[in-house]
Amino acid sequence: MTKKNDIFVPEGYFQNLEQKLSRIPQQEVRPTTLQKVSPWIAYAASLVILATVGGFLFRKAAEPVLQEEYSWDYLSYLSRSLDPDGMLEQVETTDLTSEDIVNFLLADNVSVELLAEANYEENY
Amino acid sequence: MKELEQVFNGIVKEYSERLYWHVRRMVASHEDADDLLQEIFLKIWTALPSFRGEAQLYTWVWRIATNETLNHLRKERVRAALRMQSIDAEMERRVEGDPYFNGTEAQRELMKGLAKLPEKQRQVFVMRWWDELSYEEISAITGTSVGALKASYHIAQEKLKLNLSTLEVSK
Repeated sequence: MTKKNDIFVPEGYFQNLEQKLSRIPQQEVRPTTLQKVSPWIAYAASLVILATVGGFLFRKAAEPVLQEEYSWDYLSYLSRSLDPDGMLEQVETTDLTSEDIVNFLLADNVSVELLAEANYEENY
Repeated sequence: MKELEQVFNGIVKEYSERLYWHVRRMVASHEDADDLLQEIFLKIWTALPSFRGEAQLYTWVWRIATNETLNHLRKERVRAALRMQSIDAEMERRVEGDPYFNGTEAQRELMKGLAKLPEKQRQVFVMRWWDELSYEEISAITGTSVGALKASYHIAQEKLKLNLSTLEVSK
């Protein structure tokens, strides 16, 4: 079997693409509303997560036995990641699944859209 | 500014098609690849004034493209999880419903298997198998050692072989 020619593009796509991309410098790059508020969303999300983790830890400390699904290691790991980037990093670099994090957040009624919508930028 | 525009247009001419194919394999959708490619080139344009030439232009452009693609996929995965949906199922649906696919069933199965790989394994496999970059080139782009890349490629290859008895992986 060949490894190429299994996918294709609409006719004339690459000519149009080149023209479209070449117009980027002429476009005024305006930050979107989301980009403008993104640092604030990240900040708000950090506070929410801090409060959530703090509250969760407080409630857990009052319980005699830890529930299996939230070990102290898990909680201390979460508590070190108080911003959306950290949360996203965890999803990628640890055994924690995104479902673990989601379940944890949902259990405490966190507005998880903040996390989902928080943009982050790479510096090159 | 004119000089920067010329450099940028040169990058568009030189890399847009090749990067499209890379991104398309990674996101498994023409529309998503098209959108993401614009974001990538916007990022390249924005970052171009700060390009100091410490890396080769080729490496720098690819690095932006691959990082942006991984970020895109990572966000998609988190968003899917927040909606309590499986990103694997979504990717499979994309491959199944891709109107710009005319390959064999085995090739479709390969694309489905590819879409289920963890993003970084998928990236290494795409860069090696389809983009035909050397391990040294991939290493310069991703900042990952050649040894680790070979290991990732091997794992990806083994996973794809499980689903594809017809896959002739010669690399």
